[in-house]
Amino acid sequence: MTGTLIVNNLAGLLIVTSLMVIGAKRPTSSALLYALQSLVLVAIFLALAVTKQAEELYLWSITSLVTKVVLVPYVMYRALGSLRDPEADGSILSMPWMMLAAAITVLASFLVLDSVRLPAITDLKPALGVSLAHFFLGLLCIVTQRNILKQIFGYCLMENGAHLTLALMAYKAPELVEIGIATDSIFAVVIMTLIARKIHRTLNTLNVNQLTALKG
Amino acid sequence: MMQTLALATILLPFVGAALTLLAPKTAAKWLGQLFALAATISVATLGYQFHLAGQMPSTVDLIKIGDTTLFGLTFDSISTLIGFAVVFLGLLVCVYSSAYLSEGNREHPHEGRPRYYAYLLVFIGAMAGLVFSSTLVGQLFFFEITGACSWGLIGYYEKPKGLRAAIKALLITHIGSIGLYVAAAWLFSATGTFSLSSMAGLDETGKLVVMFGILFAAWGKSAQLPLHAWLPEAMEAPTPISAYLHAASMVKVGVYIFARGIISMGNVPHIVGTVGVIMAIITLLYGFAMYLPQKDLKRLLAYSTITQLSYIFLALSLSIFGSELALKGGIAHIFNHAFAKSLFFLVAGAFSYTCGTRLLPSLRGVISRLPLLGVSFCVAAMAIAGVPPFNGFFSKYAIFAAGFNLSHQFILLLPLMILALTESVASFAWFLNWFGKVVPGKPSAEVAAAQPVPLPIKLVLVVLIIMTLCSSFIAASWLG
Amino acid sequence: MTSSELLVTLLSVPLACSLFAFATRWAGDAARQLATAAHLFSIVVVGGLALLAASKVLLGTPLIAGNHWLYIDSLGAIFLGLVGVVGCLTGVYSIGYMSHELEHGEIDTATLCNYYGFFNLFLFTMLLAVTANNLIMMWVAVEATTLGSTFLVGLYGQRSSLEAAWKYIIICTVGVAFGLYGTVLIYSNAASVMSQPEGAIFWTVVLENAKSLDPTLVHLSFVFALIGFGTKAGLFPMHAWLPDAHSEAPSPTSALLSAVLLNCALLIIIRYYILVSKAIGPAFPQTLLMVLGILSIAVAAFFIIVQRDMKRLLAYSSVENMGLIALSLGIGGPLGVLAALFHTINHSLAKALLFCGSGNILIKYGTRDLDAVKGVLKVAPITGILITAGALALGGLPPFNVFVSEFFVITAGIKAGHPVLMIICLLLLTVVLAGLVRMVASTVFGPSPEAVQKGELGALTLLPMAVLLVLMLVMGTCVPQSVRQLVAHATSVVLNSDEQPDTQMALPWQSPEQGKKDEKAEVSAASAPVAAGI
Repeated sequence: MTGTLIVNNLAGLLIVTSLMVIGAKRPTSSALLYALQSLVLVAIFLALAVTKQAEELYLWSITSLVTKVVLVPYVMYRALGSLRDPEADGSILSMPWMMLAAAITVLASFLVLDSVRLPAITDLKPALGVSLAHFFLGLLCIVTQRNILKQIFGYCLMENGAHLTLALMAYKAPELVEIGIATDSIFAVVIMTLIARKIHRTLNTLNVNQLTALKG
Repeated sequence: MMQTLALATILLPFVGAALTLLAPKTAAKWLGQLFALAATISVATLGYQFHLAGQMPSTVDLIKIGDTTLFGLTFDSISTLIGFAVVFLGLLVCVYSSAYLSEGNREHPHEGRPRYYAYLLVFIGAMAGLVFSSTLVGQLFFFEITGACSWGLIGYYEKPKGLRAAIKALLITHIGSIGLYVAAAWLFSATGTFSLSSMAGLDETGKLVVMFGILFAAWGKSAQLPLHAWLPEAMEAPTPISAYLHAASMVKVGVYIFARGIISMGNVPHIVGTVGVIMAIITLLYGFAMYLPQKDLKRLLAYSTITQLSYIFLALSLSIFGSELALKGGIAHIFNHAFAKSLFFLVAGAFSYTCGTRLLPSLRGVISRLPLLGVSFCVAAMAIAGVPPFNGFFSKYAIFAAGFNLSHQFILLLPLMILALTESVASFAWFLNWFGKVVPGKPSAEVAAAQPVPLPIKLVLVVLIIMTLCSSFIAASWLG
Repeated sequence: MTSSELLVTLLSVPLACSLFAFATRWAGDAARQLATAAHLFSIVVVGGLALLAASKVLLGTPLIAGNHWLYIDSLGAIFLGLVGVVGCLTGVYSIGYMSHELEHGEIDTATLCNYYGFFNLFLFTMLLAVTANNLIMMWVAVEATTLGSTFLVGLYGQRSSLEAAWKYIIICTVGVAFGLYGTVLIYSNAASVMSQPEGAIFWTVVLENAKSLDPTLVHLSFVFALIGFGTKAGLFPMHAWLPDAHSEAPSPTSALLSAVLLNCALLIIIRYYILVSKAIGPAFPQTLLMVLGILSIAVAAFFIIVQRDMKRLLAYSSVENMGLIALSLGIGGPLGVLAALFHTINHSLAKALLFCGSGNILIKYGTRDLDAVKGVLKVAPITGILITAGALALGGLPPFNVFVSEFFVITAGIKAGHPVLMIICLLLLTVVLAGLVRMVASTVFGPSPEAVQKGELGALTLLPMAVLLVLMLVMGTCVPQSVRQLVAHATSVVLNSDEQPDTQMALPWQSPEQGKKDEKAEVSAASAPVAAGI
C-alpha cells in the first residue's frame, strides 16, 4: 500500500466519522467522536508527511493533536455535557437520507475537482474531493440539525474539511498560518459554546426553532 | 459679473436657510424675506446686465472634472426670464407667508416655524440653480433638491394626510427623475460630457433616449398623465406653498427642462413631438373633466394647473416640428401662468385667512365685503381662461396660432388643436360660472364675518394683478 | 515615524486599550473613568493615525510593514480611513450613549468595561482586516471581527439579543469558513505554481503571479470567497444575520457594524476580485457580483418598505447599499469601480449618522417601533433634523453625498450597456427612498407623546452626528481633492492599472488640474444656437 493510498483511505474514514458525529445522540458522545475524527485527521497529516517528506506536516500534526484531539473536545465535553434539551434532538433529515446526501456531496466534489490540473495533487484527488465534501457535510449538519450544539459540531466539521484541504495542497505554508487558523477556530468554538450556555441558561432551550423572536 | 450674480442668486437662499435654522425662532420670517429679497435683487441685476450685454447667450463652466463639466451656468433670454419669475415669486410668497402663517389665520392659526422659511429659501435657491444650469447633472441635482423641499413643505402641517401627500409627491417626481438619470447617463456615455449643448451631437438613438428621458422627468414634475396623481393631493400644503410650488416653480421645472432640451438639441426627432402632443391633449381633456366635480378652490386650481401645463407641453412639442412661434408662446406661457396662477392660489389663501374657508359654495358676494379679493379673483380667472387684456390670452394665442399654422403641414394636428380650443372655451365658461356665484351678490355668512386682509397679503395681490396685466409684454419684449 | 512604526502603533494601541478596559472591571470605583479614558485615548489615536497613514499612502507609495504581512495601498487606505473616521466618531458617541445606559440601569459597570474592551478589540480586528496582506491573516482577521463583536451584539443579554448573537456567530463563522476554503484554494494553487512558494501567502505576490493560476480552482475559490466574505458583507442571500445583529446591538455598535464591518468584508471581496480578474478575466466575478448585487437591492427594498422596526429598516438599507456597491463593482470599468468606492464611503457616513440617531430615539422613547415613536422634532429637535437630513441623504437626494455616488453607479451601468438593469435599479432605489421617507414622516413629525421627556441627550451624542452630516454635505457638493485622488488611485489598483482606462474622460478624477468652484471658470459663448434666435 502506498502512502497516497493510505491518505485517500483515511480521508474516506473522515466521512464515516463525521456521520457519526452528526448522528450521536448526546453532546458528550459527539465530542468524543469529534476527537476520534480529529485523530484520523492527524493520522492523515502523518501519512502525508511521510509520503511527501514534508517536515512541516509533523509540526501540523502535533498542533492538531493538541488543539483538535484534546483541547476542543475537552472544552466541549465539559461545557456542553450538562446541557440537555430533549425537544431539540432530531434532524430534518433522517440518518439514511443523511448518508445519501453525504454520498452525493462526495460525488459532486469529485466531479467539480475533475478538471483541476495541478501536478502536485494528481494522486491525491480523492482525498481532496473528500475534504471538499467534508466541508459541505459540516454545512449540511448545521442546516439540518435542530439542536444548536450540533450546529457547533457542524462548524467543527467544516473547519476540519478546510484544514485537510490546506494540508493536501499547501503544507508548505508558514507554521504561523496554521496556528492562526487553529487559534481562530478554537476561539470560535469557545465563544459559540459560551453563547449556547447563555442561551440555555436564559431561554432554557437548545432548540433552534425556539429562537424566533426576530423575524422579517 | 453675471456669473457672480447667478451664483449669488443660487447660494444666497441656501445661506439664508442655514441662518434661519440657527437664528432664534422669531427672526425666521424676517430672515426669509431678507434673503429672498437679496436673491431677487441679484437676479434682477443679472437680467439687467444680460440686457446691457446685448442679450447674447453664453455659458460658463464652474465645476469641471478633467474635461467634463459637472455644473455650469447658462445665460440666455429664457433662463434669465424664467429665473427672474421663480425668484421674484419666491420673494412674494415669503412676504405673503409672513402674514398668512400667523395666529390670526382663520383656517390654520399657526405661527410659521423656521423650518418653513428654510425649506422655502432652499427651494428658491434650487429653482434658480435649475434654471441657470447648463448641464443635465446640474438639472438633476436641483430637480431632486426641489423634490426633497416639496416633501418638507407639503407635509408641513404634520397631519397624516399631508405627510402622505408629501411622500406621494416626492416619490412620483422621483420616479420622473429616473428619466433624467437615464438621459444624463446616456448623454455622458455617448459624448463624454453632461453639457446640454452636447445634446445636438447625439446620434438618432441617443437623441430619442435622452429626449424621452427628459420628457418623462418633465411629466413627473409638471404633473402630466401618467404621473399627475401627486398634484391634487399636494393641496394639503399651506396655501402660499401651493402658490409657489404648484403654480410658479416646481411644476415649471418639468416644462422648463423640456424646453431647454429642445433648444439645446436642435433637431429633435419628430416622434418625441408626436408623443408630447398626444399626451398633452389627453392630459388637457382629463384635467378639464376633473374641474367639474371640484368644490374646493385649491383642488380646482390644481386641475387647472395640470391643464395649463398641458398647453405648455403642447406648445413645446409643436416647436419640435419647427415652429418658432410655438416655442416662444410656450416659454411666455410658463412666465405668464406663473403669475396668474400664483395670484389665484394666493386669493384662495386670502379666503382661508379672512373667512376660514376656501370651499366655493360657501363663498358668495365677495366683491361687496372684500373688494380686493373679488377683483383679484376676477383678474386671475380671466387671466387663466385667456381673456384679453390679461397675460394668459397672449401666450395662448401664440400657441393656437402656431398650432393651426402647423396643421397645414400636419393635418392630424387640426382635430387636436380644435379639441384644445374647445377646452379653452369650456374652461372659460366654467370659471365664469364660479365667478358669477362667488363674486357678486349678497355676502354669505362666512364672507360677511370676514376679517380684514392684512397689508402684506394686499401688497402681494396688487403686485400680482399688475403682473398679470403686463407680464406678457415683458415676456414678448424679452424674448424678442 | 516610519511606516512600520506607524502601522504597529495603529494596531497595538486599540488592542492594548481593549485589554486595559477589560482589566478595569477589577479597579472598583475608578473602573468607569479608567475604561472611558482608555477608550477615548484609543479612538483618538486610531482616528488620527488612520488618517495619517491614508495621507502617507496618498502622497507616496503603498506602505508595507511587518515582513510583508501588513500592506496599505490606496484601496486599503480608503477603508482604513473609514475605520478611523467612523470608529472615532461612533466611539465618541458611545461615551455619551453608554453612560446614559449606565445611569439608567440598563447595564452595570462591569458590562460597560466589557463594552469598551470589546469595542476596541473589534476596532483592532477591523484594522487588522483592512491592513492585512497575508491572505490567511485576512481570513483570520475577518473571523476575529465576528468573534470580537458577538459579545457586543449580545451585550444586553435579553432573549432577542442572545438570539441575534447566536445567529450572528453561527452564520458568520460558517460563512467565513467558506472564505477560508477560498483562501486555501488560492494559496495552495499559488504555492504549487510559483517558484518560491513561501511568497504565495501574500496578496501582493500572488497578484503578480495571478496569470499562472489554475482556472478551475480560481473559479471555485472566487465562489467560495464571495460566499464567505459576502456573508460578512451582508449580501443576499447570506444576509440573514444582518438585520438581527444590527438591530439588537447597542446603537453605536450597530453604526460600527454597518458602516465599517461590512466594508472590511467588502475590501476582502475586492481584493479577491482583483486577483481573480487578473487570473481569469473580469467577466466571471463581475457577473456573480452583479447578480448578487441586484438581488440584494431588490430583497432589501422589499423588506425596507414593510419594516416596522427602525433599526431593522436601517439594517436592510445596509443590505441594499452593499448590493449597490456589489452591482457597481460588477458593472466594472473605471466608472463602475469609482462609483463603488465612492458609494462605500458615502454609505458609511450616512449609515453611521442614522444608527446614532436611532440610538438617541431608542433612549428617548425606549422603543424602535415606528408606530410608537412620534414627534421627535418636538422632543429632541436637533436629533430630529439630523435624522431627517440623514434619511433624505441616504435615500439619494441631493445635495448630499449618496446622490452623487448613486448617480455614478447609474451612469456607469448605462455606459456599460445595462440600461434596463439600471432602470430597475432606480425603481428599487425609489422604493427604498419611500421606506426611508416614510420612516422619517412617521417618527420625526407628528405630536409627541406625553410620557416622553423633552430635551436632547447631550453634546456627546449630537456632535458626532453633526460632524457626519457636514462630511456628507462636503462629499455631496465638493469632494475634497485628496479623497478624489485616493479614490482614483484605488480605482486603478482595482482595475490593475496595467490595463489603463481607454480614454482620459473615462477616469476624469485622475487629471491633476481640476477646476473647483470659481477657480477656473471659462466662458464659451453661444452654446445654444437656437437660443440665439429667441
